[in-house]
Amino acid sequence: MADSQEFPCALTLDVPFPTARLASVALKSIQVDKELSPLVRRDFSIASPTSGAEGDNVEDTVLQIHYRATTNRMLRVAVNSFMESLALVIEVMENLDTDVLAAKSADTS
Amino acid sequence: MTVASTKQPRHAAGPLYALGLEGSANKLGIGVLSHDPATNQTTILSNVRHTFVSPPGTGFLPKDTAKHHRTHFASVCAAALRDAGVSPAQLSCICYTKGPGMGAPLTSVAVGARALSLLWERPLVGVNHCVGHIEMGRVITGASNPVVLYVSGGNTQVIAYASQRYRIFGETLDIAVGNCIDRFARTLRIPNDPFPGYNVEQLAKKGGVLLDLPYAVKGMDCSFSGILAAADVLAAQMFAQDKLLAAGGALKEGETRITPEDLCFTLQETVYAMLVEITERAMAHVGSRQVLVVGGVGCNERLQEMMGRMAADRGGSVYATDERFCIDNGIMIALAGLLAWETGFETRLEDSTCTQRFRTDEVHIAWRED
Repeated sequence: MADSQEFPCALTLDVPFPTARLASVALKSIQVDKELSPLVRRDFSIASPTSGAEGDNVEDTVLQIHYRATTNRMLRVAVNSFMESLALVIEVMENLDTDVLAAKSADTS
Repeated sequence: MTVASTKQPRHAAGPLYALGLEGSANKLGIGVLSHDPATNQTTILSNVRHTFVSPPGTGFLPKDTAKHHRTHFASVCAAALRDAGVSPAQLSCICYTKGPGMGAPLTSVAVGARALSLLWERPLVGVNHCVGHIEMGRVITGASNPVVLYVSGGNTQVIAYASQRYRIFGETLDIAVGNCIDRFARTLRIPNDPFPGYNVEQLAKKGGVLLDLPYAVKGMDCSFSGILAAADVLAAQMFAQDKLLAAGGALKEGETRITPEDLCFTLQETVYAMLVEITERAMAHVGSRQVLVVGGVGCNERLQEMMGRMAADRGGSVYATDERFCIDNGIMIALAGLLAWETGFETRLEDSTCTQRFRTDEVHIAWRED
């Protein structure tokens, strides 16, 4: 495993979303920008919740990010940057998704 | 109107709507406008801006500026939609600044733009910031085919249109003219609110002694970094005089007492004279009598006055806008993006990155005739 020797510092984040659509929006919004540092590798995927949800209609609602870096410092920088983008995307979802805007305009009219 | 041969123009009955998202420097600007391809009528529906103002003596750093844009993105966007009374379903496209500009702030807005595009199922259009300034200036002033002087904190270019490109005739060889002025404002510890250039201009109005500064025109190009260094030396002399006088000392015989007002006056007169010179030369080359001044420095009244006098001597006139349209804003991005979208242009999600370097002449101006 050359990879784990070169990139020994790793972190996996599971970010649960209410729907598969929102998990997919978050992934697609953030994944376009390449990781700037060659000292950091990352993988995005979408998974189904591992616990709680049972039955046939388990949607893939969990955004999963796996970070690997050469040092803990690089790992921290990369993960912080990801968290900042994620916070923006979630705020946009909360305030500007079509259903939210429709509800807001129904309130005012 | 001619269109790119490979793309299909989009037709519509009535006006088209676009959202514009700008954040290449310290202003987060979001706005909505409409453009009717049949009548070429442009209507501004909303223009909301939130500026990151750093303390006196400091500039805006990429990290802090990106944080500012992320913090205010959702509220500014909601305000722009509310002011316009437009719903996402009515939008033809979502236009964002692809570049040029500071990487982190550009990317922060692009992330927001992508989220909106995915949530609303509207296409993205990546826009060249400089082209946005030019198109906005043309619409607001009605100047049809001017020589363009684009002057801001990040860019200094003299531009003329030919064969579906905005061609760069001359430009700065080092820092932008606005950067020179902003950084000198920092040297003098002038407030950055509302913006440093405005405060330099107010001081300059009270000055009148032209101090000695280098003049650096190189053919069609300009250089500002040496002028800034020389102005900083004069400012250091002024601070030394302040100290000496405060301690009860006296100036040497024949020594000029340097004041912030005279320094600002001198800096403005020098750099604007350089800009007028290269603009005039471009006008002579192109055979144009119109000058359009765009970019944040373009709302400086002294620059407009000097440019106007030169243009009048050539039997023409200067076209300029006020701070609503000169200073970075969202609607200029919406306009340039919508014009491109009408010709069939669109930026796929996987291509919706940002680039710090993106020259004005890289863009195919498919919406203008040859």
